[in-house]
Amino acid sequence: MIKALLSLYSFKFPTVITYMLQASEYNMGAYFKWLGRTKNFNQVIKRKSLVKTQVSDLVLLGLRLGIIGQIILGIVIIILGLKNIFIGGQYYGLAIIIAYPLVWPYLIVLLLTIAKVFFINPRDIKLATVVDDAFRNYSGEVVAVMGSYGKTSMKEILLTVLKEGKTVRATPDNKNVVSSQAKFVKTLTGKEDIVLVEYGEGKPGDITKFAKITYPKFAVITGLAPVHQDYYKDLNQQAEDLLSISKFVSSDNIFINNDSELTKKYMNNIEARSFNQKKVLDWKISDVKISIHGIKFIMSKPGRKLSLEAKIIGRHQVTFVAFAVAFADLLGLSDEQIVKGVANIHAYEHRMQPYQLAEAFIIDDTYNGNIEGIQAGLALLKELDFKRKIYVTPGLVDQGRDSAKIHFRIGEMIADTNPDIVVLMKNSVTKYIVNGLESKKFNKELRIEGNPLEFYLNLKLFVAKGDLVLMQNDWPDNYS
Amino acid sequence: METILVIFGGQSAEHDVSIITAINSIITPLILTKKYKVLPLYISKTGQWYCDKALSNIELFTSGKIDNFLIKSKPVSLKFNNGLEIELNRLHTKRLKVDLVFPAMHGTFGEDGDLMGLLEMSGVAYVGCGVSASAIAMNKVLAKQLALGCNIPVSKFLAFKTSDFKLKLTKVIKNINSRLKFPIFVKPAHLGSSIGISRVKNNDELKNALELAFYYDDLVIVEEEVANLIEVTLPIIGNDKLTPALLERPMLHQADFFDFETKYLKGGKKGAKTGSKGSQGYSEVPAKLEKSLYDAAQSLGLKVYQEFGLSGIARIDMLVDSKTNKVYFNEINPMPGSLYSHNFQKAGISNVLLVEKLLQLARERFKARSSVVTTFKTNYLKQF
Repeated sequence: MIKALLSLYSFKFPTVITYMLQASEYNMGAYFKWLGRTKNFNQVIKRKSLVKTQVSDLVLLGLRLGIIGQIILGIVIIILGLKNIFIGGQYYGLAIIIAYPLVWPYLIVLLLTIAKVFFINPRDIKLATVVDDAFRNYSGEVVAVMGSYGKTSMKEILLTVLKEGKTVRATPDNKNVVSSQAKFVKTLTGKEDIVLVEYGEGKPGDITKFAKITYPKFAVITGLAPVHQDYYKDLNQQAEDLLSISKFVSSDNIFINNDSELTKKYMNNIEARSFNQKKVLDWKISDVKISIHGIKFIMSKPGRKLSLEAKIIGRHQVTFVAFAVAFADLLGLSDEQIVKGVANIHAYEHRMQPYQLAEAFIIDDTYNGNIEGIQAGLALLKELDFKRKIYVTPGLVDQGRDSAKIHFRIGEMIADTNPDIVVLMKNSVTKYIVNGLESKKFNKELRIEGNPLEFYLNLKLFVAKGDLVLMQNDWPDNYS
Repeated sequence: METILVIFGGQSAEHDVSIITAINSIITPLILTKKYKVLPLYISKTGQWYCDKALSNIELFTSGKIDNFLIKSKPVSLKFNNGLEIELNRLHTKRLKVDLVFPAMHGTFGEDGDLMGLLEMSGVAYVGCGVSASAIAMNKVLAKQLALGCNIPVSKFLAFKTSDFKLKLTKVIKNINSRLKFPIFVKPAHLGSSIGISRVKNNDELKNALELAFYYDDLVIVEEEVANLIEVTLPIIGNDKLTPALLERPMLHQADFFDFETKYLKGGKKGAKTGSKGSQGYSEVPAKLEKSLYDAAQSLGLKVYQEFGLSGIARIDMLVDSKTNKVYFNEINPMPGSLYSHNFQKAGISNVLLVEKLLQLARERFKARSSVVTTFKTNYLKQF
């Protein structure tokens, strides 16, 4: 209690508030919810830290100046009170000083809202125009990559394969908002054959917004899963948002991965070409082999057969790689170029990325954030042959009203996989996962970790040769 | 929640090695299990005993702040009250009941049976070898004599006391010359971590080597070097049912050997400037030996463990003549530095699992010993 109270007056307080705003992506609803839950502000920053940006610098400066101003004002009023110039000033002054932690976390939001209306929104409109100008008469072909999961992986796979025969550029990493695209278009030379643009879908209308300014010729939808459910009314609305691409791209050029049941259920009401783990366009997939080192499979169609190998793990990746192969074929790449391109595919950072630690294999899938990804990860854990299997997750964020149901299902799925140890990073959804585990009578070791950082830093002490650890999702501090 | 007392430091040449073993390989993994209340008990170089949570932090020692910390802290007392209790002398005296002790001491007073005697007397379960096994293991002369008695091959050796060195040096040198072939090793009989050991190639070097060894100990062993030498070591855990880790081969030239500096300060690398990995820095795990030779060494290691009555954990060092394929027992380390967790990790036992297994072995051994009757009623006193 005392520690919690003192944390309000800690020197770090402005930094913590700025961090909370940044981690909430300046979404005020999420920020206020977090603020309301927080008891001790010294316990907020556990796993990450404030990333210095222009906005965060300004917010931090604003908070510090504001707090200093309020303290000075309080002192002045106290002095006036002591000199009997302002009767009772010492009490009012003291109250003003004490009250600053109650004022500035809210006042800064007001200042940010004003800044958004007068600076950020007009800036975004201007940036959208920059993107629009770059793509409106662009000679290369734009491929829109979108979906609730795996879009960065799909984009990187396409880039790796297509660049064996084409001049290709792609938006960097998982940068998929207008501001990052505006930066990206400035780097284009105009001589590219293909430009891969990742569309982020965070709220209704996002896909249309991106399509309007990037003029895509092709669109690939990696799949549908519940994400950002605090913004989307339901899965239908999320699916509609993705399918709105059909207003901008002809049905022949829209490709939908329908490996998942959700995608099949919610995304069947437009004309498009679907692909999955068995068949991609006119190619058949067979002889799939999965190991910790990569995937191997054969793609064939009358008169042609490709034997493919990629250093990327998980059965679900076969669909993505196979699509890249079929798409490369469609764009005219030779068999040799395609096979070489596929061989160059490797795991991407924090996405089913295997590495060795203290003789054990760790699969870092911490950028995964949806139930389809969880399912794919668990399927891989079950499929690989290791002496001891350890599964680590905090659960999923942004699951909205269905969070309890989804996490119960995750618990069931984990129990079905039957790892030797399940490690849950303790937070508000842990109980639902545990309920799911219990419902399936999971009887192996269950650890609930209250200090994720300590666990991650000491992981090497938990593991040994013959162990496989799958770490899924990286739960930010603000969802604790 | 069980209270585990981890004792480390001590008045031994291996004081600093013990700190690393305790904090990195025992206390941290035990804390991570979240199953135990872990009490670190640090014995300073001057022999005071301290118990404080802060002593779990390696930075306290590596930064040198430990000296100031000890000045401000009060030593603790031990109480034997149907088990072991720690009495913390703070504002209000507080007693903490200990359920199990994890000794993490190396060398004198800690690994040689002295501490184990204290723990036996206090009636508390503890990890590792018992009193007699520890005492024999840490006496290289006794160990070799016992090995001979059990038909376990050892290299030729001679033993000398301080009085021999002071009063009959010429005779000692003559004895060595007539019975052993150079090169030979001169070692203090009770020290580990290669302290005070010299490899001697001729008579000119012998006196200095003896002087160095007697500086550290009152009993010195002189051993003939095994030709075509491959050194191997085997960490083992268990009481009756044994689990060997992997046979490990320290990588060094035949002409060299691991002195303390090489072993701990240069990360196990001859010629390396600095090292941070301790003795685990430079070795081959598992040792690349022919299967038959690997199996022979492993069998010998297990035989030594059983014949010597070792329990909990120990590391058996062996010498292999790579031409004749003959394996010799060399010595035992009843508390291997850092528990040799790097080796167990390669054998599929994580550090966390290792400490938990050791606790379990300690409980089992304690239970077995507790069932042995040590007192009975007699009429002896009535005759007086």
